[in-house]
Amino acid sequence: MPEGTQLTRGEAWTIAFTYFTVAITVSVVHSTAGTEPWVIVGATLIVNSATATLAFAAVQASGGTAVAGVASGWLVSTRFGVMAAALGPRLWPQRWKRALAAFGAFDPNVALAMREEDDSDATRVYVAMSLWLVLPWWVGAIVGVILGEQLGDPQALGLDSMFPTLFVAIIWPQLTSKTAVSITLTGIVIALALVEPTPGGVPVLLAAVAALLALIEPRRATSDEEPHGC
Amino acid sequence: MLTWGVVFAIALGVYGQRALGMAVVDPDRLTDRWRSVLGFMPLAILSAVAALQTFSRGGELTADARVFGVGAAIVCASRRMPMFVTVLVGAAATAAARALA
Repeated sequence: MPEGTQLTRGEAWTIAFTYFTVAITVSVVHSTAGTEPWVIVGATLIVNSATATLAFAAVQASGGTAVAGVASGWLVSTRFGVMAAALGPRLWPQRWKRALAAFGAFDPNVALAMREEDDSDATRVYVAMSLWLVLPWWVGAIVGVILGEQLGDPQALGLDSMFPTLFVAIIWPQLTSKTAVSITLTGIVIALALVEPTPGGVPVLLAAVAALLALIEPRRATSDEEPHGC
Repeated sequence: MLTWGVVFAIALGVYGQRALGMAVVDPDRLTDRWRSVLGFMPLAILSAVAALQTFSRGGELTADARVFGVGAAIVCASRRMPMFVTVLVGAAATAAARALA
């Protein structure tokens, strides 16, 4: 726990527990979709983003090509770049250090670091939280793989609904503004309108256009409206 | 289903964007509106993916037991229940609807 910063022990434990349960859930979903255990654990470590791999798997499950799946995985990660750009200038002046630290840029560690008034405190909180998140994230992934292997008939257990319900859990807390709601509804309409006339994967990629609605947003976006996730 | 090749391909794009943001991009050159568009991109994609996984199968529109699961998940999420509870309740509702059908 970095001394003299605003970060509290309670916050650190709450976030660790959340990441642990999210990692378990995501691993179980990948496992029931047929991904090999070591690939799931490796993906957790190498990609370091649950939404990116989930988007890929979901696009592929609805008939999309691997290329469309990878593109979707990249598109759901744009927010990491935006968050990293906000924090980057407050960290070290050396670019190589920032490039190294970029690997661990998640929502909570960036948000907690941004909260610090002093840049050196922001750096300490970012490094501490980035390292702290690693453990529950990987242990959760391994526990999830083991649990996923034990599950029986995916259809009888309703496990084919796990992708959409997981996405509902990720999307819902982000619907805090009219812009967010209209982007969500537009994305849904585009995807469902295109699912029959276009090949798999295309509806999802074209639904990204819905984000352009943010351009006609009447007021300036505040940090409260920035989406959160994993 | 993820493979090693796919994992590395996704990782390249995800890390690339993180590194671009943290070490390369000058944040002052990104206007608020475009930052907002990039910030909302995941929401658009995830909503589309969730809708397709609820209302389509094999490229055709359909409504089956998954709709009940997603409905139950929306109730849980709107009551701010933890993610794993939301997913478990969703799976249980889907399984129950399927068993009763």
